Amino acid sequence: MSIVRINVGPIHPSTHGVLRLVVDLDGDTIVNVEPHIGFLHRGVEKLMENRMYMQSQSYTEKLDYLAPFSWDELYTSAVEQAMKKEVKPDAQILRVIMLEYQRIASHLVWLGTFCNDIGQIFTIFMWSFRERARILKLLEDLSGTRMFYVNLRLGGFYKPLPKNFKDRAYKLNEYLVEKISEYKDVIEPDPVFNERTKNIGVLPKDKAIELGVAGPVLRASGVRYDIRKAMPYYIYDKLKFKIPIGYKGDNFDRYKVRYEEIFQSIKIIDQALDMLPDNPDILGQPIKLINPNANPDIVVVHRELPKGEGIIYMVPDKQRPYRISLRAPSFINTFAINEISKGYKYADLFANLGSLDIVLAEIDR
Amino acid sequence: MNDDLLDKDERFLNAEKKMSRLVLQASKKYKTPVNAMFTRLSDFTKAVSKGLIRWGRVNSLWPAQFGLACCAIELMDFGAARIDAERKGYLLFRATPRQNDVMIVAGWVTKSMVPRVKRMYEQMASPRYVIAFGECATSGGPWWESYNIIQGIDQVLPVDVYVAGCPPQPENLFAALMKLQEKIRDKHAGSKEPTISEDIKRAEISGIHLPEEDNSSRL
Ligand code: SF4
Repeated sequence: MSIVRINVGPIHPSTHGVLRLVVDLDGDTIVNVEPHIGFLHRGVEKLMENRMYMQSQSYTEKLDYLAPFSWDELYTSAVEQAMKKEVKPDAQILRVIMLEYQRIASHLVWLGTFCNDIGQIFTIFMWSFRERARILKLLEDLSGTRMFYVNLRLGGFYKPLPKNFKDRAYKLNEYLVEKISEYKDVIEPDPVFNERTKNIGVLPKDKAIELGVAGPVLRASGVRYDIRKAMPYYIYDKLKFKIPIGYKGDNFDRYKVRYEEIFQSIKIIDQALDMLPDNPDILGQPIKLINPNANPDIVVVHRELPKGEGIIYMVPDKQRPYRISLRAPSFINTFAINEISKGYKYADLFANLGSLDIVLAEIDR
Repeated sequence: MNDDLLDKDERFLNAEKKMSRLVLQASKKYKTPVNAMFTRLSDFTKAVSKGLIRWGRVNSLWPAQFGLACCAIELMDFGAARIDAERKGYLLFRATPRQNDVMIVAGWVTKSMVPRVKRMYEQMASPRYVIAFGECATSGGPWWESYNIIQGIDQVLPVDVYVAGCPPQPENLFAALMKLQEKIRDKHAGSKEPTISEDIKRAEISGIHLPEEDNSSRL
């Protein structure tokens, strides 16, 4: 039979932004998928090279708008390393708490939209956004804004902790565990969900390593690799948590890995809250110019972002980075779509794409 | 933008006048209560034609399901559990522009997206309204110095309501849609002023060079 070429996007409700896919079909079976990117390109790295260090923070956090703080923290750590500045111990704990809350928020948005893509329209979406709103409210009181918290300073934060933060966080965690464990009872017995995820979009272990995918997509294929364990930063080596992995690497495993990660994150937050003293000293300095005598070298920072491994490679200069390069996990995960969709039906394309959890602003940069 | 609509209104008004004249003549000839009822019926239809259509337009604004960047997450939150947008009749997000009344531009518009956004706007049925949601759609926002974006969607489309903020809170979108409803109710909606892209003089002054639409990569 002849091959039919179908164009999907860039304006499409299921491509999670403005991604264009060119799909070759043989009958109803996918032969080849080619992602076309660049519809959101605005040259972040170039803009950052023309900005002072403290100005770039609001650029990095718009890379992954589901978990802005994670990129923000990655960039600030790069500047901290360039300036050879230590982070205060209490601020380290609070950063871990915020990072994990961001991971939960990101996974919740993913869960809601993935269930929408798959046909469980709006039930899980409504629930997960309800829980996310609680998390955002807590972080809003901590930082002052709802989505984009530019609240990191050298060595700490710019504002002291609100008074009853710990109690509220403990309560929120209880609430999250109670509510999120209910999701399982709705999602997993659903025959539609099972049909559309189990044994669909399989990414074998060797292929996953070959493609260089990262984060939950890699772990769902059975590779136990997480920067939080492999190269622990902050207080992660003092915390007890597991890295959930999948076995087959199908859509269901990718769902399961993210779902379990939410609970592991809650566990991490609980432990970190126990370590946090009542009146923590978390104030940092404003980000200033790099000391001309410091003679900074190339800086490379790795972090486990909600979507995978993020890396910043920076050649610092005195006022602004001379060169900066970002490794966005979504960018590499997107190109797994061809591998996991080949041989499956056209209807599975959006289940597969949704399971990769991509953010277009991070891909196009 | 609303020219054809106005034409229709005018034609309708002329027909109305003619009809009421005929009815009045008839009522002079035959003085029966039925004819009096007819005159009142004509008033009634007049009121209906003005009010009912506008009432329908005001209360069923269907936004486009079309997100570009970070602001689209707040757009999703707008449709989610915390803010129940359905109580005002806003929630029916449609994926095809042919069923939309409002286009909420949420995010920065790159030069490669301009022809696509324009085409989407052209596919919407008149009357159509545009809301610029967020700094990026209003003025370019944090990226206004970038080489690849346009500084605000109003360079290519006529905008009815601007929402400031990076990102604006979902409550602000609620306020914006209520503002738009007010505009439609008072018949101010849809600016008749040509947009920069249509007005060659203004385009020359502001020095905008929009990318030509490339027919080979038509979508
Ligand atoms: S206004 Fe801010 S939040 Fe909205 S799209 Fe632009 S950068 Fe993102």
